[in-house]
Amino acid sequence: MEMEYGNHIIQSPKEYSLCTGCVSCEMICGLMHDGCIGPQRNRIFIQPGKIKEMVHTVLSCQQCSDHPCYEACPKKDKAMCLDPKTGIAYVNEEECIGCGKCQKACRFTPSRINLVKSKDKTRRKAKKCDLCRDKEDGPQCVKWCPAMCLALSDGPIPWEEDKKEE
Amino acid sequence: MTTEKKDDRLYGYAGKILRINLTDSTTEIIDSRKYLPEWIGGRALAHKIFWEEVGPGVGAFDPENKLIFADGPAGGTAIPTGGRAVMCGVAANNLPEQYASSSIGGWVGTVMKYAGYDALIIEGKAPRHTYLLIDDDKVSFLNADAIWGMLISDAQEAIFLAHGRDTFSMVIGPAGEHMVRDATITTSNDHTLSKAGFGAVFGSKNLKGIAFHGTGDITPYDIDKVLELRLKIGDYQHIPNPVTHQTRMKSVAYDVPAPNGWDYGKLACSPGCNSRCQRLMMNMTDAFTGEKVSQIEKCTSPAAFTLKNDFYMPVGTWVTSPMNGRSVGAQRSWAKPYDKNDPDYEIVSQMWGGDTVNYWNADFDRGAMLNQLCKEYGIDKWDFIIWNMTWISMCKQEGLLTDLDFGMEPDPESPEFIRHFIKIITYRTGPEVTLIDGSKRPIGDVFAEHMARAIRMLGKEKYGDSIYHGRYSNILKKPLDIPVSLEGGWGQCSHWHGRGFSGSQKWFWCANMMLDMVNTRDAMASGHTHVSTDEYKKILAEGPCYSQTLANAVLRTENTAILTDSVPCCEWQSNEPFYPEENAEQLYAATGEKYTPEELLKKADRARLLFRAILMRNYGRCRDQEVEEIYPFLTFPDPGGDYATWEEWNDWVDLYYKTVGWDLATGWPFRSTWEAAGLKEIADEMEKLGKLPPEGGTPGYVRKENPFNGHIRKVPQEYHF
Repeated sequence: MEMEYGNHIIQSPKEYSLCTGCVSCEMICGLMHDGCIGPQRNRIFIQPGKIKEMVHTVLSCQQCSDHPCYEACPKKDKAMCLDPKTGIAYVNEEECIGCGKCQKACRFTPSRINLVKSKDKTRRKAKKCDLCRDKEDGPQCVKWCPAMCLALSDGPIPWEEDKKEE
Repeated sequence: MTTEKKDDRLYGYAGKILRINLTDSTTEIIDSRKYLPEWIGGRALAHKIFWEEVGPGVGAFDPENKLIFADGPAGGTAIPTGGRAVMCGVAANNLPEQYASSSIGGWVGTVMKYAGYDALIIEGKAPRHTYLLIDDDKVSFLNADAIWGMLISDAQEAIFLAHGRDTFSMVIGPAGEHMVRDATITTSNDHTLSKAGFGAVFGSKNLKGIAFHGTGDITPYDIDKVLELRLKIGDYQHIPNPVTHQTRMKSVAYDVPAPNGWDYGKLACSPGCNSRCQRLMMNMTDAFTGEKVSQIEKCTSPAAFTLKNDFYMPVGTWVTSPMNGRSVGAQRSWAKPYDKNDPDYEIVSQMWGGDTVNYWNADFDRGAMLNQLCKEYGIDKWDFIIWNMTWISMCKQEGLLTDLDFGMEPDPESPEFIRHFIKIITYRTGPEVTLIDGSKRPIGDVFAEHMARAIRMLGKEKYGDSIYHGRYSNILKKPLDIPVSLEGGWGQCSHWHGRGFSGSQKWFWCANMMLDMVNTRDAMASGHTHVSTDEYKKILAEGPCYSQTLANAVLRTENTAILTDSVPCCEWQSNEPFYPEENAEQLYAATGEKYTPEELLKKADRARLLFRAILMRNYGRCRDQEVEEIYPFLTFPDPGGDYATWEEWNDWVDLYYKTVGWDLATGWPFRSTWEAAGLKEIADEMEKLGKLPPEGGTPGYVRKENPFNGHIRKVPQEYHF
């Protein structure tokens, strides 16, 4: 069955803009959501290219329409919730118990859901891309990517606009 | 400094320093607060630790040598350029061996902070081939037999396979294992600690590499300020980064056809940077397997493709105006061109004419191979290309190589010879040659001791001081002398020294060689001299060796280079003549510590003087030593035929010493100089050592007569091979 995905972060083809590997998207994600930066804080992921290739891949939540992460959450609608406007799943961290079931339910490998694995159980939280739903100017990774190589899948795609002009 | 922080948390820092004893496989945690934020981080922090822990008599390969790998508070905070790091210790490629530093981009500095550490102190010697896995709190001393002998990329791939792709490493190649003195330490995204030969020190410690896996957080103090700086630092260009197909390797200074083409992308060097200064050359041919691979190349790599004409750059790379800042010069490959509305456009856009040097003709595939061989064996590209290979070229053209058996005909334009030459150096093999003292060693073993030592072993009068006759000035339209060995000083290769490679104007090379003189390694690695267009006009009016404006600019460059390596940040995205608050703003955003630019420069002053103290205590640094080390190369003409007389250079040294508060006779700081920088205890120590000159200067000081005979450089007897 073909999966359906909602509006999500996409990486441009390298002919339009190559990821510079600056990982600003990861850092800005943690900074804007959690006020700190670290590998457990980002909801977008740079998968480093092979050693002799150095072409990096951006991995992000595809905002699956059937949201298996939401379905797996033991506190559905309290911890993992659905945004009534966009239909995407997002984490309400106050309620999240950090059980990791959403992370395991993600159908992508590696999982697109991050998890803070603190010894302090009260600090364990799932981190999932919510397209910066509380930001008026949209996803901050898109905004702060210095190479403009990130975009929203249902937004105007600059490289496709370029193709039309050609 | 005013303290208005919301709490006493150590913002921006990881909080711990990790001491690693390789001899007995033990570790110790040091609270970062012992040194931080007082000593900022990076190079300033390393100076403090080294001063306290390593005294005189420790050589580069002694287990007592300590390598300090340090990040600063901006690392891991998303402050642009803050992702760099430094390593300090007794350097293997120095002649004589001295304490030096080397800076690096890549991901490892930031990941080290995620693992919880602001710095590592690596000491001792492992009893077997070892690599370290630093995984948050757990430090493992792992058997490296399986990766010992591997090329750089293979070792990194093995570490990825063993520990996961979220584990980031820095490793040595076979050159480091064989203690080749200009061996590198290289990260998995191809950034290197090159400028001190610390790869050889890793080898001496049986240490193949360090792998980092960290899961912790770094919290900057002021997020709004971080975001502001992301738009402010450098000449921020929010533009796409398309990969383009190229059929040439081209710049203002070279134009090399690439018969099979290549694809050009650009990468950032470190986490959080908003620039893309690294040249990603895609669809290149692997020198070992023939497969299509990518290479990351930086400033000197193009010289591998051709060096028939010397490299030169627009004056705006060094002389900047408010409308044409340094980053514009540095980022010309992808950012906006010079602004022609600038009243000083004519100054910043002028080119310094380069000589025709006739080292080697253009060959794209050969150049690509040379760059990759250096990377994979783990040898400093800069020195191998600009020193080893130019020496081969010049000596061959002068007929000097007939008595040396390399195992095949030496030829800088032969891919086979290049491959052979770098391999025999890496593994210290090749036919035996007779040294000047009558002993015999494999020729690769000789060059593995790095060029300065190799030339002295072979006989410096012939192999170092012979004149090359193939250099032609395009300004004067006549040949100019240059020695066959492009040696700057302290065993370092010439770098923006104005002659032989990177020709430039006299004021510029006077400034750069002053920086090198008071340093121990190639100071241009993070401290090229930069001035404003207004300063430039004054310097030309005052005369290079007599310009107080230039002396002030050199001091500023020295201090900002220390801050660059301590905050850390990037020289090329800084613009200090017009944005002096930059480092202070970075530090505030990361740590909440508020400094004025003047207060921060005082901190840099203190670190710079502590470095001087290390050199004086550990290596006997004094005026005669450093003047005589640096002067000889200045006797050869620059592209305009200019050079420095003994009197001129010493007048320039006098002016600089006066500017920094050092005694003219000895080059030692006065007590007032130490104390003004908050280093009374160092002044007391120097007094005990008999190295505290009287205020006002050593009585009866008379300048030393020129100890050199024409262009021939004296070989100091105390330098051991």
